[in-house]
Amino acid sequence: MTVDEILDMLYGTLRTTGIYNFQWNIIVMWGVGCLFIYLAIAKKYEPLLLLPIGFGIFIVNFPLVPLMGYEHGHAQLLQVFYHYGLEWEVIPCVIFLGLGAMTDFGPLIANPKTLLVGAGAQLGVFITFTGTVLVGFTLKEAASVGIIGGADGPTTIYLTQHLAPQLLGPNALAAYSYMAMVPLIQPPIMKLMTNKEERKIRMHQLRPVSRQEKLLFPLVTAGIIALLVPSVIPLMGMFMLGNLMKESGVVGRLTETAQGSLMNIVTIFLGVSVGATMHADKFLSWKPLFIFSLGLIDFAVCTIGGILTVKIMNLFLKDKINPLIGSAGVSAVPMAARVSQVQGLRYDKTNHLLMHAMGPNLAGVIGSAAAAGMFIAMFD
Amino acid sequence: MKKLIYLVFVLLLFNPTFILGAEGFLEAPVIPQGTAIEKSDARLELKIGLSHEEVLSFYKEALKGLDDIKFREWKDVTYIEDDGSRPWHSITISKGDQKETHIIIVKDNWTWIIGTLVLRYVGVFVVLMVLFLGMSASGKIISGSMKKIEGQKAAGK
Repeated sequence: MTVDEILDMLYGTLRTTGIYNFQWNIIVMWGVGCLFIYLAIAKKYEPLLLLPIGFGIFIVNFPLVPLMGYEHGHAQLLQVFYHYGLEWEVIPCVIFLGLGAMTDFGPLIANPKTLLVGAGAQLGVFITFTGTVLVGFTLKEAASVGIIGGADGPTTIYLTQHLAPQLLGPNALAAYSYMAMVPLIQPPIMKLMTNKEERKIRMHQLRPVSRQEKLLFPLVTAGIIALLVPSVIPLMGMFMLGNLMKESGVVGRLTETAQGSLMNIVTIFLGVSVGATMHADKFLSWKPLFIFSLGLIDFAVCTIGGILTVKIMNLFLKDKINPLIGSAGVSAVPMAARVSQVQGLRYDKTNHLLMHAMGPNLAGVIGSAAAAGMFIAMFD
Repeated sequence: MKKLIYLVFVLLLFNPTFILGAEGFLEAPVIPQGTAIEKSDARLELKIGLSHEEVLSFYKEALKGLDDIKFREWKDVTYIEDDGSRPWHSITISKGDQKETHIIIVKDNWTWIIGTLVLRYVGVFVVLMVLFLGMSASGKIISGSMKKIEGQKAAGK
């Protein structure tokens, strides 16, 4: 065997490794992936999602890894998760099933007027849409970016997959990142939008809600949503099914599975699939960076929208609502409601707003789904 | 002869079908045989002696393979909408008359975008308002019936 032959062999072997096919831009993506893993572990920002997303970003950004492509006509591992989970829009709906099985709608049923706060808090979604179109995104892309402000991960993923799948990674990442940062983003806006007297408004204790009302709620809601915005019934239908299972009390095993094992399984697939869509070739452009910066404004305007809605409602109500719960109109359940509670206690140590804030918080989930439905109806 | 050529040239120049056939309108394809009824910077209305099916098949072919184009079949028109970032927003093709079809091409405009956004934002309120009314009504019915049952029970005792 000649030296040349040996070198050819070595060269041939080298060509099958990632080192030979190395591109410098993937280093940036390793950094992005590691940043999210760091935020999940060290800062505990939405760790259930940011950790698998971060790892997904990290692992797909190596040359030749058989994860997100097709080989001999067969989809590779993460491509399978992505195709059946996200392209088929299964995972967001299953997550909503689990969320429904975890949610107590009592505070919303007891004070249904807070539903309007959930609608008001969608302001940022529509304003961001306009801003995004102005800088050159298509209408479908703009809608998918706008919905980030609704602070609802599964809804963002559902809508983005439906209208602009090419933005799935950045949109999902922006949504979950900003949701994790709700305690940092919202308080300054809440302070700016309210005065001391308003922050000290005490609200009456919520009335008890009967089991019958809780049983009827998912049926009424599913029916109304199906009639008015049928395009989001896969999401809302599953949400209400999960809640009906919980409230019925007769399918404990199913409820437990939906809110536990099933939710955990799909969360793993969701996180790693979303991360896997973010290859350097697609991610390193101005659009994802723009989405990240606009997402912050989107969140801020949604928060303002919720607070403003409460202030407008207070002009007509005898029993005033504390505007601090308006910020909970962005979904981010239950973190946004906790922020309202913490801020309320800062100004009056005995004013507990948590249960009151849960109403707009849950209304925000329905509101952002309704906004998503409006966009789907607009483009389908 | 020169005068005749000049006349033909001028006629062609001021005939919209000649202009449109060559360039389209706002990058939207335009059937060359069409006669312009109304034309402005933002809107072009044409009539053409073809059936709806023939015009539709022309547009299906002309817009084939383009992203973000949507064909909506409505009762009296076919509405072709661009959700991308093309200069035109919609092409409306009339239905019903086999001998003559009207085509309206409209420029992409902010009035439409803002209008539809405001409408949809209000729509979210409407959805949640209806839900509010539904919940309030069902809550009252349930509370009422519960009180009635409890009253009957108390009376029975």
